[in-house]
Amino acid sequence: MKLGTMLSDVTHSFFRRNITQKYPFERFETPERLRGHLHWDSEKCTGCGMCGTDCPAAAIKMHVLDKKAKRFVMEYHIDRCTFCAQCVHSCNQDCLSMQNDVWELAALNRDQMVVYFGDPNDVIIVQEGLPEPGPECEPAPE
Amino acid sequence: MEIILDFLRLLIFPSGLFLLLAGLLYEWVDRKLLAQLQNRIGPRWFQPIADIVKLMGKEEVIPDGSNKWLFVWLPIAALAGGLTAALYVPIMGIKPAFNFTGDLIVTLYLLSLLTLCMGLAGSNTMDRYSLLGATRTFTQLFSYEAPFMLALLGPALVAGSWQIDKITAYTQNHWLIFTQPIGFIVVIIGLMGKLELPPFDAPEAETEIVAGALTEYSGRGLALFRLGKGVEMVVGLTLVAAFYLGGVSNPVLFLVKTLALLVVVAVLQAVLSRLRIDQTVGIWWRYGALLVLVQWLFMFVGQRLTL
Amino acid sequence: MEEIIERKPFEVQVGPQHPALKEPGNFQFTVDGEIVTKASVRLGYAHRGIEKAAEERNWIQNIYLVERICGICSHIHAMTYCLAVEHLANIQAPPRAQAIRVLVAELERIHSHLLWIGVTAHEAGFDTLFMYSWRDRETIMDILENLTGNRVNYSANLLGGVKIDVDGEQKTGILKGIEILEERTKHYLNIVTTDVFFLQRTRGVGKMTQRQAEVMGAVGPTARASGVARDVRIESPYGAYDEFRPNLIIEQAGDLEARFIVRVKELFESYRLVREVLDRLPEGELSVRMPRRIKPAEFAIRVEAPRGELFYFVKSNGTDKPERVKVRTPTICNMTTVVKLVVGHQLADVPMILAGIDPCFSCNDRMVIVRDNRKIETIESRR
Repeated sequence: MKLGTMLSDVTHSFFRRNITQKYPFERFETPERLRGHLHWDSEKCTGCGMCGTDCPAAAIKMHVLDKKAKRFVMEYHIDRCTFCAQCVHSCNQDCLSMQNDVWELAALNRDQMVVYFGDPNDVIIVQEGLPEPGPECEPAPE
Repeated sequence: MEIILDFLRLLIFPSGLFLLLAGLLYEWVDRKLLAQLQNRIGPRWFQPIADIVKLMGKEEVIPDGSNKWLFVWLPIAALAGGLTAALYVPIMGIKPAFNFTGDLIVTLYLLSLLTLCMGLAGSNTMDRYSLLGATRTFTQLFSYEAPFMLALLGPALVAGSWQIDKITAYTQNHWLIFTQPIGFIVVIIGLMGKLELPPFDAPEAETEIVAGALTEYSGRGLALFRLGKGVEMVVGLTLVAAFYLGGVSNPVLFLVKTLALLVVVAVLQAVLSRLRIDQTVGIWWRYGALLVLVQWLFMFVGQRLTL
Repeated sequence: MEEIIERKPFEVQVGPQHPALKEPGNFQFTVDGEIVTKASVRLGYAHRGIEKAAEERNWIQNIYLVERICGICSHIHAMTYCLAVEHLANIQAPPRAQAIRVLVAELERIHSHLLWIGVTAHEAGFDTLFMYSWRDRETIMDILENLTGNRVNYSANLLGGVKIDVDGEQKTGILKGIEILEERTKHYLNIVTTDVFFLQRTRGVGKMTQRQAEVMGAVGPTARASGVARDVRIESPYGAYDEFRPNLIIEQAGDLEARFIVRVKELFESYRLVREVLDRLPEGELSVRMPRRIKPAEFAIRVEAPRGELFYFVKSNGTDKPERVKVRTPTICNMTTVVKLVVGHQLADVPMILAGIDPCFSCNDRMVIVRDNRKIETIESRR
């Protein structure tokens, strides 16, 4: 039966620095596997859209402008993303990855939370809501 | 001329404004020490002042069913008791402004007035948490008062007077911590009970009864109670330092001795866990009273032997 | 003229907002002075409709929905769901994936128990133990962040395996962290069993006999502290637990001190299991392909979450969305013990008894409909 069993801890801490990380003045290195902002490699994409289907938070939407010519635009909502990396594994072509150094993603308004990846002209088409040229299809019968 | 000097002593220094700021400073030192012992950063130096300023600016909400006059005047009475008690105690090593025979008893009772006002404030409101907190405050008041007072009267007995500055004149040459060690232990623990510091903070146990007797207080009332607690801490530490640690004759010695006592109190706070109210009463009435009676026995025997 | 003042019982409400509760729940205690004479509980404040939401999402999206039922036992929920769905599709995850799942589950158990020590110490007023055990919790969270990428909600599971691999550098990092934690845990065991003031708050408080624990259906460390010798990892091993066997840890006293001892000893057991898994990690691939549509079948599975026995029932109907996912978490079994045991104790013991069962209110809010002779009652309204 002892009184004051934490005395050793307490006297030890009296002479040491505290362990609080004084963020934002002190920043530690992020671990390698941290899941931050999404990154899309457009070369390998085939436009299957599995990333959008499997996303639990509906944060990815794949706009297919022309499947044969490989014109895709990916709309990514940062505020909906849960950073689970399911899209990274659902993609069969390995074109998605999550960067580990871009993780301070707070913003002051919602507009900054939607990111479009793709060719700038295609992005304008999607953003303006112009009718997207669909995949090649047969003309309507007379 | 004397009247103006008396007013200055009452309102600015050593009582009044200076004492309020000193109380906040000691509260900050206590919190910062506790944080350092728990391996974290504590608040910055102006945190208690910022708390009081913020509280003064908030609206005071008077709950239904409580007596309005009592609700508003009890915090004022509590702070007034604390500030008055400081007039008889050598703050900053300066001779007390007013002294008369028996002012030790008056000071102790004025300090108890603060706790009494907090308990009354709790029983005044119709909130369950406040009623439970008030019950606990009064229970704790009954339990530590007797040993704490007896331990403070020990030095009075050997000094042969009930007047604080005569006692301090005696203790300047005799360090009573060595001749009455048991009394010193009892008085330090009694001080922690009086100030409701852990392990004796059952009356304001945050995880059980939200905030105890002061649950319904906000705004100015809460600010005055907190100031009163800070003042009580300074006055209590001064009394203990003056009686047991060889008197306080100049400001430097005052600061050094009271801060050393505060370090001891902070270490005890960090290392012990909170006790239930019935366990507090049990400890006080069994061990506290017993120790202080043993100390008095030794004092009597010692006096008989030296005569 | 005399007024007859009606003597109403003095009721103290703890919740839904109270400093003693970390999550909302409502307890009403009738007190007489400081002694509690009657208690009743009302839950349902964190009900989010997860079981219904699971029927609208496909099998893969549901992993992440189910992971967010609870913050501290998130991996075990995801692991159980994946095990159940893999069984429905008649697929076995490869041995390396199962072993890594066990590794993360044991690391999560360490995290949960360290958190619990801190929270219960805070309820007792022992803030120093709270700060120090949460400082050590940072070590395990750093290990988990290096391994999986996140401090809570690890998202390590995939249907058919795991996402993450353990290489040599990870292994040394984990072993170093576990060594530090083992030293600290020995210190905590010493504190919890010998500190006089802390023992006064925990010894003899909330005593539950073995018979009471069995009748009320208590599970997990709460029941094991009363002598009930049940641990799902041992009696019906799932995943890789038939290779890496834990030992059963029980105490007979049944009070709060026994619950502390059981959980701290389980920490030692988890350290041993983590070392064993890292030592004998089988080689192989990390995941296998799963079909997107699963044939109609149903399956029920029990696992050992940090708080007790977790039960899942999954039913498929041939499409890519589940027909029914039913979750029964351990806290709801232990909640009745609180209501029963608190009677006769002082009000100051009540937060300790509540924290002693390791409550996770966000886990336990399911709605249960009880049909009794054509009268339908929901479990929330039963007082």
